Amino acid sequence: MDNVATHEDWKVCFPQFAPGLLLFARQWLRSSADAEDVVQEAFVRFWRRNHNIENRALLYATVRSIALDFVRRDSRRARREADASSETGGLVEPQFEQLDDSQPLATAVERLPLDQREVLVMKIWDELTFAEIAAALGISQNTAASRYRYALVALKKSLQPQ
Amino acid sequence: MNDFSELENELKKLRPAPPSPELFSRVERALADVTKENESADNVVRPDRFRINWVSLGLGLAAAAVLLIVARIEINRPAKQIPAVASVTPAPRAKPGAINNQLVPAGFTQVVYNTRDEGLHFADGSAQPMRRVRYRTHETLQWRNAATGASLRVSYPSEQVELIPVSGQ
Repeated sequence: MDNVATHEDWKVCFPQFAPGLLLFARQWLRSSADAEDVVQEAFVRFWRRNHNIENRALLYATVRSIALDFVRRDSRRARREADASSETGGLVEPQFEQLDDSQPLATAVERLPLDQREVLVMKIWDELTFAEIAAALGISQNTAASRYRYALVALKKSLQPQ
Repeated sequence: MNDFSELENELKKLRPAPPSPELFSRVERALADVTKENESADNVVRPDRFRINWVSLGLGLAAAAVLLIVARIEINRPAKQIPAVASVTPAPRAKPGAINNQLVPAGFTQVVYNTRDEGLHFADGSAQPMRRVRYRTHETLQWRNAATGASLRVSYPSEQVELIPVSGQ
């Protein structure tokens, strides 16, 4: 499990992983600044313990754990943000780069149930296998695959013309 | 082919929002701090490490002291304690230079396995009563050849009767 990468190699790894990790963290955190705090802490902790960078499941599990701790610690502010978010009718900050024609799809992704969305994010944008997703979330591979399928069904349904 | 390949392709076109430029420098600073902490941890001798070492050293010394005490007790203890069953006569000592190829008496053992008090009796022609006690024993005689190490042992049952005078008080 030793990280064969040298200390400077994080400069290669981090830019590759950071967008996916931020998107993953944003599922629990409304603010991109909070998500960046969580990703920073998770990555530094992961790197410092010399885990193998190929063990992406552990990296995502670390992000998830720190994000959930952050939410528990700061539940009062999270409630305020949730109230503000409901008043504005959605997330305060976008999770995806703004593209005119893909906005309905991005909105549909953001409205997915949390357990489906975290599997979808890891599968689509981070390209984790179901085995890695299962390891990161502490669920079976079948459950991970089912949630992914439910997410796709829900997205397809939400994009159909009314 | 699954039914969702087109949807999956559409999803992959969505690009996650990029991290802020500050995040990279923040991670760099944090990792540099970790490196400095590790380096300083290697160079600075922390007082708490001394404390832990003293505790370990104390425990080690205590364990060593206990081992020494136990070892000394073992040295002082006689090699083997033979339970005394009855009486054992000491083996006769051979005189120096007198060792020859003969069996010599090496010991005698008498085990009393039953004692019975038979009450008062009057011995023939005696006016004073005597208490008669009967002992049933098992005796063993042993010979040993000091030159060859051969030994001979003879065991036999025996019975002894003891008459004990009783005072008239």
